[in-house]
Amino acid sequence: MLSRTIIDHLQQRVGAGNVYHEREDLLVYGYDATPEIAGLPEVAVFPENREGLQAALEVSRQEGLAVTPRGAATGLSGGSIPFQGGMVLGLTRMNRILEIDEENLTATAEAGVITVDLFNAAAARGLFYPPDPGSQNVSTLGGNVAENAGGLRGLKYGVTRNYVMALSGLLYDGTEFIAGNKCVKDVAGYSLRDLLVGSEGTLGIITEVTVRLINPPQDKRTLLAYFRDIRTAGEAVSRIIAARIIPATLEIMDKTTINCVEDYAGIGLPREMGALLLIEVDGHPAVVADEAEGVRKILEKVRADVIRQAANAEEAAQLTAARRTALSAVARVSPTTILEDATIPRSRLAETFAEIERLKEKYAIHVATFGHAGDGNLHPTAVTDERNHQEIEKVHAFFSDLYEKVLSMGGTVSGEHGIGIAKKGYLLRQFGEGGMGVMRRIKDAFDPGGRLNPGKIFLEGASSPDVRIQGGVHD
Amino acid sequence: MTETSPTGNFHPDDAPAYESILQCMRCGFCLAVCPTYALTNRERSSPRGRAALARAVAEGKLEFTPAVRDEAFLCLDCKACSTACPSGVRVGTIMEFCRSQAQIFHPPSLPAGMLRDFILKRMLPSPALMETSMLPARLYQRLGLQWAVRRLGINRFLPGVLDKMEGILPTLGPPLRTEIPQFIPAQGKKRGRVAFFLGCAMSLVFPDVSRWTARILSQQGFDVVTPKEVKCCGAPHLAEGDRETARRLALINIDLFLALNADYIVTDCAGCGCALKEYEEILEDRADHERLRLFRSKIRDISEFLAEVGIRTEELRPVPLSVTYHEPCHLVHGQGLSGPPRQVIRAIPGVELREMKESNWCCGMAGSFAIKELETSRRILERKLANVRATGADALVTANPGCHLQLAWGVRELGMKQPVLHVVELLGRSLPA
Repeated sequence: MLSRTIIDHLQQRVGAGNVYHEREDLLVYGYDATPEIAGLPEVAVFPENREGLQAALEVSRQEGLAVTPRGAATGLSGGSIPFQGGMVLGLTRMNRILEIDEENLTATAEAGVITVDLFNAAAARGLFYPPDPGSQNVSTLGGNVAENAGGLRGLKYGVTRNYVMALSGLLYDGTEFIAGNKCVKDVAGYSLRDLLVGSEGTLGIITEVTVRLINPPQDKRTLLAYFRDIRTAGEAVSRIIAARIIPATLEIMDKTTINCVEDYAGIGLPREMGALLLIEVDGHPAVVADEAEGVRKILEKVRADVIRQAANAEEAAQLTAARRTALSAVARVSPTTILEDATIPRSRLAETFAEIERLKEKYAIHVATFGHAGDGNLHPTAVTDERNHQEIEKVHAFFSDLYEKVLSMGGTVSGEHGIGIAKKGYLLRQFGEGGMGVMRRIKDAFDPGGRLNPGKIFLEGASSPDVRIQGGVHD
Repeated sequence: MTETSPTGNFHPDDAPAYESILQCMRCGFCLAVCPTYALTNRERSSPRGRAALARAVAEGKLEFTPAVRDEAFLCLDCKACSTACPSGVRVGTIMEFCRSQAQIFHPPSLPAGMLRDFILKRMLPSPALMETSMLPARLYQRLGLQWAVRRLGINRFLPGVLDKMEGILPTLGPPLRTEIPQFIPAQGKKRGRVAFFLGCAMSLVFPDVSRWTARILSQQGFDVVTPKEVKCCGAPHLAEGDRETARRLALINIDLFLALNADYIVTDCAGCGCALKEYEEILEDRADHERLRLFRSKIRDISEFLAEVGIRTEELRPVPLSVTYHEPCHLVHGQGLSGPPRQVIRAIPGVELREMKESNWCCGMAGSFAIKELETSRRILERKLANVRATGADALVTANPGCHLQLAWGVRELGMKQPVLHVVELLGRSLPA
């Protein structure tokens, strides 16, 4: 509990309306979109500028407070949860788009800018900012950078990291950093920028970001295919990639997801099908026509059971309806939705789906799987009820087994959600003590006192990789 | 997560269902569409934050504090978050329950409470009392004044409140309920029999609009039955947290309208339509399930109805007008009706529909919110009117009396050129003389 004097002091320096300390506020700054986990800060501060941020950090240092940076708190691994209480540092009020530089094809914005606003600002100048995480209408650019967010366009256009050119901000000790610049080529020194991208708020507080913009695609074609056997869908994906066709979108939904969508939306999906692939190719009109034809031929060759190609935008919207509805449909099935982001080399797609089916049966739980087949990033989503402890245990055992398999195939424990609190154990499995030790030394170099977003990424004081945080507000 | 009793720190009477709160997965998709969060950037004033507060109360982690009450009433109940929510959480409804709870945990002071009881339990349920023993103009003003007294005290906001109350009401004629024929026969080839649910605000404030509704229904080939015994739909009661009176009114209306043997029950008030469609839910386990289901199956908003049965356009005359359409929250988010009003507008020869940005963003009226939260309401309205102005359309069309009042007031205040029209007024202009 912070004293009244400290709250007053913070309000004076950061602005009275930018500091929250009532219980009703603190309760709602303790969570993000990660199920089962929440914390409780002592104060939540929303600076409007660099000076306010400096002041907040100064008070944190004086009081020895842990500081957890927070964007829109849409993360799925617990990155913005105040694990050790302390101060939540909201960046949403530093939200100006500072510049669209048409000569260098860059945009510079403050960390609190909403992703889609940046996209729209670029589009207004005829430019394109491709990263499109599922929460782009709410998520912040700073949060996207901190978590290295992906999205549906990852396969062709890459993820947030591929667009970040420069970052600036503050370390916990108040040191200002500028990492990167607008130069296309830059090999000066260690790339601090690349260390900070995906650092989940554990190294520094990012306040300003410069991103690369590109030309928007001129044309787009949409195809949809159903497969009785999900292995055929996996084969189709492999062949499309092997044919050197890189679609902007190559999404998959399994049978459970198809049926969830049909239960919810009733749009006439074939319930008996084992998988659906949604494919969108974009780019120059001539290339797009060729690629769409190439995709169609491959779908015919592997004998997809149904193939549809949209003749116009309206039909394309109909084809994408099922995939767009997937999360809604799955989330409605039960109170708790545990959405993971297991990622494998895309050639191992069919094998991974088979393993998911085997494990579902083994643990007798409900898992719907959809995701970005083209880049191997899957979202096995457990629909469960956090009040049912027994089932929750089984869900965690399921994911533990699945990640074991994912790692054995050369996959990764997180394709786009980050490690945060939820995946610390899995990260240790992926990197081992040696790898984690190196990361620890990097963390110490930026934040020797360990006060910046503590409790994330590193599994402290626990030797078992299976330690998880049990749910509930711990206060 | 600790196991807790279903109601925790809520009072067991009319507590929000724990299941309905737990369904929130905190994805935050609602933050992008919430007008109060857009203004405050404060999580507790967002749908996700409000659901979390309700959850904390239900789990015994928080008392039903004044801050929880305030958030329940700051919510516009515009239901935009329900449309945006992937997992089907209805925070507006949860907040309606919290408003009921507020009456228990933080009852209004005695005189204000008596006035509230009088309005909600005596006056609104009795159309005759409302129309005769009080000037209609006073209804709205009293509701707002009661709030000003209770929430703000006599303070610096009051002059503004009075100004707005005076400015927002149009010139009033006699209530339509007493004048409209109980039966209007179908014209041309008869297509069916419709019961017209004439809402209080439509009858008192917009009688001419509802006259058009009845004329259009008849012109389109439907017998129109308008019962004089109709009661308030109960929407104000749900909004103010008086679920008990809402249920009583619902039961009376169900009996009244089912006895009319109409094919459909049609309303031209989005707020009424929304409430009528919720009868099944608010009376669950308190009335015969089959009758509830039957009643629900007959309810249509006028646009929904016309789009469904198909508009007979042969006789329509061109109306050379460009219009933009503001979607009432209770139509688009409350009833999921976005296409039908546009279908009706497009069916009118000569009319050009120019879409505005954020057409489904609340206008800031939200029942008595426009009076209770004057400044917040004004800021929400300004955002709306800027989008209207950008279309350069000749007229602004909507489909709900609350929005109609608020928009017409805003347009006058800002000296904008657009008249505000209900969809049926626009359609009425194309009807043969």
